[in-house]
Amino acid sequence: MSDSHPGAMISLRDAGKQFSSRGMTLRALEPLSLDVAPRELVAIVGPSGCGKSTILNLIAGLLCPSEGTVQYDGSEVTRPNVRVGYMTQKDTLLPWRNVRDNVGLALELKIRRTSRGAAASRIAEMIDLVGLKGFERHYPGELSGGMRKRAALARTLIYEPETLLMDEPFGALDAQLRLLMMDQLQRLTQARRITVVFVTHDLGEAIALADRVVIMSARPGRIRRIRDVPLPRPRDIFRLRFTAEFARLYEELWDELKDEVAKGTDN
Amino acid sequence: MTALQADATDTTVTRTQTRLPGASLGTAGIVVLRILLFVLILGALEIFPWPASAKLWMIKPSAIVQTVWAWFVEGLVWRHLSATLVTMSLGYVTGCVLGICGGLLLGLLPRVNRTLTPFLAAANALPKIALAPLLIIVFGLGYASKVPLVAATVFFLVLSSTLDGVKSADLDTLDCMKIMGATRAEQIYKVLFPSALPWVFMGMRISVRYAFTNTILAELIGANSGLGYLIESHASQFDATGTYAAVLILVIVSVSLTEILVKLENLMTKRR
Repeated sequence: MSDSHPGAMISLRDAGKQFSSRGMTLRALEPLSLDVAPRELVAIVGPSGCGKSTILNLIAGLLCPSEGTVQYDGSEVTRPNVRVGYMTQKDTLLPWRNVRDNVGLALELKIRRTSRGAAASRIAEMIDLVGLKGFERHYPGELSGGMRKRAALARTLIYEPETLLMDEPFGALDAQLRLLMMDQLQRLTQARRITVVFVTHDLGEAIALADRVVIMSARPGRIRRIRDVPLPRPRDIFRLRFTAEFARLYEELWDELKDEVAKGTDN
Repeated sequence: MTALQADATDTTVTRTQTRLPGASLGTAGIVVLRILLFVLILGALEIFPWPASAKLWMIKPSAIVQTVWAWFVEGLVWRHLSATLVTMSLGYVTGCVLGICGGLLLGLLPRVNRTLTPFLAAANALPKIALAPLLIIVFGLGYASKVPLVAATVFFLVLSSTLDGVKSADLDTLDCMKIMGATRAEQIYKVLFPSALPWVFMGMRISVRYAFTNTILAELIGANSGLGYLIESHASQFDATGTYAAVLILVIVSVSLTEILVKLENLMTKRR
C-alpha cells in the first residue's frame, strides 16, 4: 500500500482521523492510503458514517490527520487548501445574495481580486454554462434544489480550481435531475480537465462518473476495494445504466458494498 | 404589535360574520362598538355615585382630562415628557452600540466569550432596575443615573442576540469560504456580519420596550423629572387626579411609541 505514486495530485499516506470529545475517542477513519492522479475522477462509496466526508475534509485541509500524512501536489496539507473547490452536501449559498452575487463571490476575494467588468463577463458565462440564465436576480430561497446545486457548482467552478471535492453533491435531488446534473458535471470537468474526488452513497452514480471507485467499509472506515471503471469516455450518462458492462460492474461492486451497508445499519 | 393583533382579530371576526347571514358587521361596525364601549365606561365612571370613602382614589374622568389639558396648556408636561424620551433614547442608543460591538467581539473571540460567560450570565440575570438606588447615590437624580441603567438593560439584550446571530452563521459556509481563499476579515464581513444582522435587529426591536419600561421605573424610584417622576410626585402627595393624569399621559406615549415601532417594522420588512 505504501508505494507512492510520484505524479499523484492527492496522496493520503496511512492517514487516519479520530475525534475526541468529553473523554471519548471516536475513530472516524482507519489509517488508509489513496492516490489520485491529476485529472482523475475518483468516487468514494460507502455506508453512512464510514468517514467519506472526513477524507474530503482532510484533502481540503479543514481537518488535520491524527496520523499519517495528506499531500497535495507534493506538499503536505496543513491549512485550508485554496487550490481546491469544495462542494459540500448543503449548497451553502449565501441567502442574502442573489444568484449573480453568489456565483461571483470568489472573484471578490483579495486572493483573486477581479475587475468589475471581467468578473461580470465571467459570471454571465458561468451562469449560462450551468443553465441558470434568467435567474441572475433570484435569491437562493426562490430557487429549486437543483437550481441551487447548479448555482453552487457555478460558484465553485468560476475560480477554476484544479481539483473539485464534492460531498454527495446530488444527494437531495430527484432521480431525473440527478442524471442531468451528472451529465453536466461530466462535461464541465472533462472540458476543464480538473481532478475530482467525490463522495456518494449511490453506487450507480459512482460507476457512471468515476475513473476509479473506492469502496469503503463501515465505521471505522477502511478501504475495502478500489476498482477501475474501464468504461470509455465520453459516457452517455442517460443510457449507461442499460449497458452490460455497467451491469457487470454494478453487480461486482454491490457484492462488496452490501455487506458493509448491512454492518453500517447494525449499530 | 397591537395594531397587527387588532387587524388579525378584525379579519377573523369578519370571516365568521359572513358565515352568519343577516349579522354582517364590518370593520366600521367594530370601531363604532369600540367607541360605544369607551363612552359607556367613561360615562359610568363619571356619573356613578361613589361613596365618600372612595373620593380619595375614585376620580371622575372629566377631572383627569382637565388636569392633563391644563398641564399641556401650562407647558408643565413638556419638561417631563422630554426628560423621559431623552433618557430613553440616550440609554437605548448607547446600549445598542455597545451591545452590537460587544456581541460581535465575543462572537469572534470564543475563548474570551467562554471566560466571560458566567459573569455575563450573572449580570444578565440581575434585574437591572435593582441598581437604580446605587446609581442615584453615585450619579444623583438626573440623567446621569438613568441613562446608564437603561443602557445596561439594552446592552445585555442586544449583546446576547448579536452573539446568537454570530453563532448562527453556517459553519459549512465558513468552511467553503476558507477553501475559496477568504481571509479572516473577508469571512467576517461577507458571512458572519450578514448572518448576524437579522438577530441584531431582533434584539434592537425587543429592547425598545425594555428601555421604555426601565426609564419609567428608574424615574419612579428617584428622579427630579420625567413621566415616572410625575406619577410618583403626585402619588406621594395623595393627589389621585394628578397621578391618573400622569398615567394617562404615559399610556398615550407608550401607545404612540408602539404604533411608531410597528409602522417602522412594517416598512423595514417591506424593503427586505
